[in-house]
Amino acid sequence: MDFAWSDQQRELLDAVDRFAKEQLQYDLIENDRNAVFNHDAWMKCAGFGIHGLPVSEEYGGLAQDPLTTVAALERLGYGCKDNGLLFSINAHMWTAIIPLVYNGTDAQKKKWLPGLVDGSLIGGNAMSEPNSGSDAFSLATTAVKKGAKYILNGSKIFVTNGPIADLLLVFAATDKSQGAQGISAFVVEKDSPGLDLSHKIEKMGIRTSPMGEVFFEDCEVPEENRLGKEGAGSWMFTRSMTWERGSILAAHVGTMQRLLETCIRYANERKQGGQSIGKFQQVATKIVEMKMMIESSRHMLYQFGWAAGHRKAVYAEAAMAKLQISESWVKCCEHAIQIHGGYGYMVEYEMERELRDSLGSKLYSGTSEVQKNIVASLLGL
Amino acid sequence: MSATLVLIELDRQQLKRPSLHAITLAQQLGESYDLLVLGSGLSEVAASLTGYGAAAVIVADDPALAEPLADRYAQVIAQVVEKQGATTLLASSSTFSKDILPRIAALLDAPMVTDVLALEKIASGFAYQRPVSAGSMLATVTVAGPRRVLTARATAFAMPEQGAPPCPIESIPVDAGSLPNGTQFVSREVRVSDRPDLAEARVVVAGGRPLKDRESFDRLVGGLADALGGAIGATRAAVDTGLAPNDYQIGQTGKVIAPELYIAVGVSGAIQHLAGIKDSRIIVAINKDADAPIFQVATYGLVGDLHQLVPELIAALKRA
Amino acid sequence: MKILVPFKSVPDPYASAGVAAKSVVNPFDEIAIEEALRIRERGEATEVVGLTIGPAAVDEQVRVALAMGVDRAIRVDDSRALDSYAVARILRAVVEKEAPEVVLMGKQAVDDDSNQAGQMLAGLLGWPQATFVSKIDFLENKSRAQCARETDGGIEVINISLPAVITADLRLNEPRYVSLPGLMKARKKPIDVMPGDAVTPRTTTVSTSNPPRRSAGTRVASVEELVTKLRQEAKVL
Repeated sequence: MDFAWSDQQRELLDAVDRFAKEQLQYDLIENDRNAVFNHDAWMKCAGFGIHGLPVSEEYGGLAQDPLTTVAALERLGYGCKDNGLLFSINAHMWTAIIPLVYNGTDAQKKKWLPGLVDGSLIGGNAMSEPNSGSDAFSLATTAVKKGAKYILNGSKIFVTNGPIADLLLVFAATDKSQGAQGISAFVVEKDSPGLDLSHKIEKMGIRTSPMGEVFFEDCEVPEENRLGKEGAGSWMFTRSMTWERGSILAAHVGTMQRLLETCIRYANERKQGGQSIGKFQQVATKIVEMKMMIESSRHMLYQFGWAAGHRKAVYAEAAMAKLQISESWVKCCEHAIQIHGGYGYMVEYEMERELRDSLGSKLYSGTSEVQKNIVASLLGL
Repeated sequence: MSATLVLIELDRQQLKRPSLHAITLAQQLGESYDLLVLGSGLSEVAASLTGYGAAAVIVADDPALAEPLADRYAQVIAQVVEKQGATTLLASSSTFSKDILPRIAALLDAPMVTDVLALEKIASGFAYQRPVSAGSMLATVTVAGPRRVLTARATAFAMPEQGAPPCPIESIPVDAGSLPNGTQFVSREVRVSDRPDLAEARVVVAGGRPLKDRESFDRLVGGLADALGGAIGATRAAVDTGLAPNDYQIGQTGKVIAPELYIAVGVSGAIQHLAGIKDSRIIVAINKDADAPIFQVATYGLVGDLHQLVPELIAALKRA
Repeated sequence: MKILVPFKSVPDPYASAGVAAKSVVNPFDEIAIEEALRIRERGEATEVVGLTIGPAAVDEQVRVALAMGVDRAIRVDDSRALDSYAVARILRAVVEKEAPEVVLMGKQAVDDDSNQAGQMLAGLLGWPQATFVSKIDFLENKSRAQCARETDGGIEVINISLPAVITADLRLNEPRYVSLPGLMKARKKPIDVMPGDAVTPRTTTVSTSNPPRRSAGTRVASVEELVTKLRQEAKVL
């Protein structure tokens, strides 16, 4: 395993660093309060090349390997504080772009990938249902074939990018008797008859990433929008979910690094009793703990990225990286607030938002408990 | 047949007064100097230039020179330099001189120094002090060779005295047929204003981006300028956002001014802007950001909301 | 139509004080590069060639130009301190070899602020020039260019025959942000390194110094106090 960057990787990572610093600085307090998605920043990221990092060049992407991709996202998160934007980009990349890359026909890729890469199309997926969360494959949404169309009925919840999506990858049961093997995936475009994307859901954190409920009422989807074979949905979902798990928090290794640096600066500047608070062991210990959590998160992220670029089965690496980064992110936010004392609790210091943003990471893409179950089963338990 | 030739700038038949400041630099060079004007219909303006101590006023008067097209002007002026045997060609810095003089320097195979602020006597003649990097540094430059071309920062040289005995006016023939023909004049924006010229005004009021819209810019910056009988300027940001036309821009790449009183309204004070104002005698800054760099150079700083303070100031000036 | 874009590597003019400024493409030249690319993108030019002068270290800025979209680049290998005239001579030699229809460059480099090289190049070549340009339109089957110029008196419009030298002012355009695909592609584009004209610079900077610092004056608390100070202390009213 070699994590020494090549010249080309270094140039790319430095460019992402600069981009985030120069192009993605804006006031977030109001956007967070009013749950505003920054479409301009979305387009800047796409134009810069973020969305297409793992996509081949023929569709406008950069064809970067998984390791370079997660390292680039880490840099993006270091410079960009808009965790909601990052979440929307991640949902778009891992739950819309990657399934298309792996499972799309040439025609499907040609139709949607260029737009998803250049940002003109916003994607997401619709999997969770009101009565199926962690038990992902017990779907009530059905798709019934009728001539050259499928007719979808049911509803989906917690759909990231739902209210702003141009297309959603929807998982629905085509054959309920087959259980997980009876699930198929469909690309549902926003103007499909019978599709209702209008229901927004208000969240505790990552508020600048729109989330919604989606309803299908005799929603018509042309047969050519089915992704993969009938019944291949759950396999497809598992495969892209592995990518999603391993990568979705990459940016927040960068976020934690930024928090660490802020805390170190504050601990050196803030004086109490005639000395900087960093000299107090209780503060220094917290900062060292943050540092340890960040380093181990980064190593697990890179290990996932490296493994994903070299072999297919990376379930354990993905689950462990997700678990480690999410738990660390929450803990780092708590530490950062504690180190800043009363100021850290104030909106103006932008740390309470980080904590609110971080908490969801223990829930989405599989709760921490689900990640532990995966690791446990891989350990033969 | 003077050693120094000073190019005087006109706006059609009107004298551009800042261009006269270059005469003071010519006087500091210590040798006799001629003044040169190009254009069409110049007898009146030529006559107005005879009292500045020049050996002669040289006039190239031809309809083909009605507009200051660089290729034509450069050719005519280079010929005058050659014919007169002048060793220094100079003019006050402006878009006019910066357009034409470097071209002449190339035709004459002569070195050029832009924006001279001061002369320094050295064994071989003079060294020239000039600003670089938006005026954050001063460079002292020497030139080699028998001839040189200079532009002078008008704000660094005083307006010359007028009152010397009138000198002769020499007309030089212009062979219109031999002039380059690759450039055609199409149009020039003409803005009629009762306000004094920005480059010469005793008082300048400049506005920045916080003015928000053109109406506020005109009402507050324009209103304050009018209350003081001054000219209007703007920052690059204000021009970029369409609050003011481009020729109002002050700074490194815009105009350099040195009025008696400069009032900065909602101007943060980027180094590129400060480069254009720091020789003003009195600088007043009105800005709500107490840490804005403009306060580091302001003679008087007033921290607060310009939308409230500027109308108050206009009212106070009108009361007085 | 081929456009040649000479550009200079300068210390970052927007670097924070006290921090060692890294080199960047001169902002006015960046505007010139952007304009050349837009002209090519709207189908009026077929090739945009970047040109710079300097040692191998400036290849970093050459790659920025290539990443923006310049088709290929030439670096004249010369690490001497050059004046504008020497630069113009070096540029002329490349222009004669490349035979572009348009040379498009920044109106001045923000380090030495001389504002000479483009005009000198036009003079050496005997080509028409349009300086301080904020808008370019090609006319008459691209045999002429109509250029709006930002002059002290306002916008002036001239029409020049090609080939010509055009220098860019601030408001010609807003340069694009270099993208990752651009950076990747730039790695595959050629940089030709060639020796330059051996012309000897004839201006020499013998010393530099800090300008006299203007010190901060006083804060006034009110409009009334300001007017009083202006009247009684400064005596400007």
